[in-house]
Amino acid sequence: MKRLLLAYVACSAPLAAQSVRGRLEGRVPPASIPVLDSLVQVAAHEHLPTEPLLQKAIEGGAKRVSGERIVKAVVLNLGQLRRGQALLRRAGDTPPATPGEVVTVVWALKRGVPDSVVEQVVAALPGEPRSSALHAIADLVVHRIPADSAAGLILEAVRQGVRGPRLLDVSGAAVQELQRGRTHAEALALVRRELPNVPPPPPPARATVLRARRPGGGAPQVPER
Amino acid sequence: MSTIDPRIHQALDGEIPLATLPPELRRQAELLEAAAALLAAAPAAESVAGRVMAALDHPARRSRLVRWLVTPRAVVLRMRPVWSLALAAGVLLVALLPLREPPSIAAVGEEEGIAQFVARFPGARSVAVVGSFNDWRAGSIALEDRDHDGVWRGVVVLPAGTHEYMFVVDGERWVADPLAGRYVADDFGRENSLLIVRPVKL
Amino acid sequence: MNASGAPSDAEVVARVLSGDREAFGVVIRRYEPGLLRYAARMLGSRDAAADAVAEGFVRAYRHLASCREPARLRTWLYRIVANRCKSHLARRPRAEVSLDEAPPVADPGDNEAAVELAEQVALVERALLTLSPEKREAFVLKHVEGMSYEEMAAATGERIPTLKMRVHRAREALLQALEDYR
Repeated sequence: MKRLLLAYVACSAPLAAQSVRGRLEGRVPPASIPVLDSLVQVAAHEHLPTEPLLQKAIEGGAKRVSGERIVKAVVLNLGQLRRGQALLRRAGDTPPATPGEVVTVVWALKRGVPDSVVEQVVAALPGEPRSSALHAIADLVVHRIPADSAAGLILEAVRQGVRGPRLLDVSGAAVQELQRGRTHAEALALVRRELPNVPPPPPPARATVLRARRPGGGAPQVPER
Repeated sequence: MSTIDPRIHQALDGEIPLATLPPELRRQAELLEAAAALLAAAPAAESVAGRVMAALDHPARRSRLVRWLVTPRAVVLRMRPVWSLALAAGVLLVALLPLREPPSIAAVGEEEGIAQFVARFPGARSVAVVGSFNDWRAGSIALEDRDHDGVWRGVVVLPAGTHEYMFVVDGERWVADPLAGRYVADDFGRENSLLIVRPVKL
Repeated sequence: MNASGAPSDAEVVARVLSGDREAFGVVIRRYEPGLLRYAARMLGSRDAAADAVAEGFVRAYRHLASCREPARLRTWLYRIVANRCKSHLARRPRAEVSLDEAPPVADPGDNEAAVELAEQVALVERALLTLSPEKREAFVLKHVEGMSYEEMAAATGERIPTLKMRVHRAREALLQALEDYR
């Protein structure tokens, strides 16, 4: 397999090898770097986003996973990216799919939303971000609401003008109804009736938000109390 | 779903004494009893006696009772636990409380938001949040346990969008956030917690 | 009178039926904590629970003469409140969400013990909510309200083998959920 990959790579415009190795060196077992590099090159050649693959490799390294399992995970993710890209094409997105859109679709598939429903959402939001809609549907699917019904509610909200993270409040409201003991059908019907009025988003964190700091840089700000 | 040893059911149903169970089964039975005890220890609700007696005084009134208005408030539990569930540290609680002062908007960009992390790891020397937002490097988001009560906190500005993360305790123990509400397979045999950061609106 | 000097349920019922309405207050205070707890678990809201339980007591008072065994007053009350809960759940439109509906959260200013307790309750409540309403009810009646299977059968109208199976499945699901967090 390794020989085949290298041959493949030789024919294409490679991603700067330096940058890939630079990201991986010291983060993953050294013996796995050549194969991982090749896999990233393959992704680049197919116009797939490469960052998710690098992230997955680095994550594996951080978790002290063996090189072999890291490679396996990256291969798995490459397959998911391909699937996401194909789905976007089928749904009518004009190629090339932007990296962000492919990643968004892969999230939804990973969280259990069926291909057909993802396609439906993509088609319903041409040229618009789909991440919130897909996560909202996934939130419902995770609670065992049939995917088609979940999509029905979220797409109805979209039709009535609800956008962005507010769609998460729509699914959140339905989940709350389920927790109250309603059946799936009841929960969806109740929330649907309230549209486009969506319950307000959760209140922001308290005054500690003033202490918010960014990752990595320097010492934390001095707290208020 | 896995079934449990039938002896646990027998003990909890009172058919055999709890003391006759081997240690591991006994532990499981006690875990269930402790969970039930926690549920039973919920703070007492206000009595309905007043409104019931009032309704009885007016039998001509329709069955719809006057709604008992409860002032909305966060319920703070004040009971000290007599027992302690043997749960592994790693339970995250995200406290969402009404805002009193406006956030420091200038510090947060348009495509950024705020994530607050709170977790209890008594005895830990360090707790880091590690995830896709910091290249899976421990050390760039360190939580703090200011008053050394085992409760670790941190508030972080993060790019808006979807992130995967876990906690790393003492630099080596990886723990997912069981109360994150959203999860995804990490493809290494475990699950990452999923965080959706909403942009702070101006 | 029982050993503690408090009147038995049968005595209180007899007094109420003979015209002493105030005596019904004894019944309310004796059973409302458990009923409110049970209704809150079923409805997910303390407000709705208070409604269901209050309605239940009013109904109980009006039909007290039909409580065939005053010695089993408790299960009879649970039966009535269970029906109120079902009818609340079926009712439309959905109730307003208030902070009162939210699960208890600890104030970050609380000490460790309070935060720990809040976390543990939240954990157990979440695990409980993954159960179907029937299994949840069975677990709550058996282990939180401490009923025997006979009492549960009287309270729910279900057969004992059915209730046992629900309790067993609920235990398994809860244990799994609790163990997953270890």
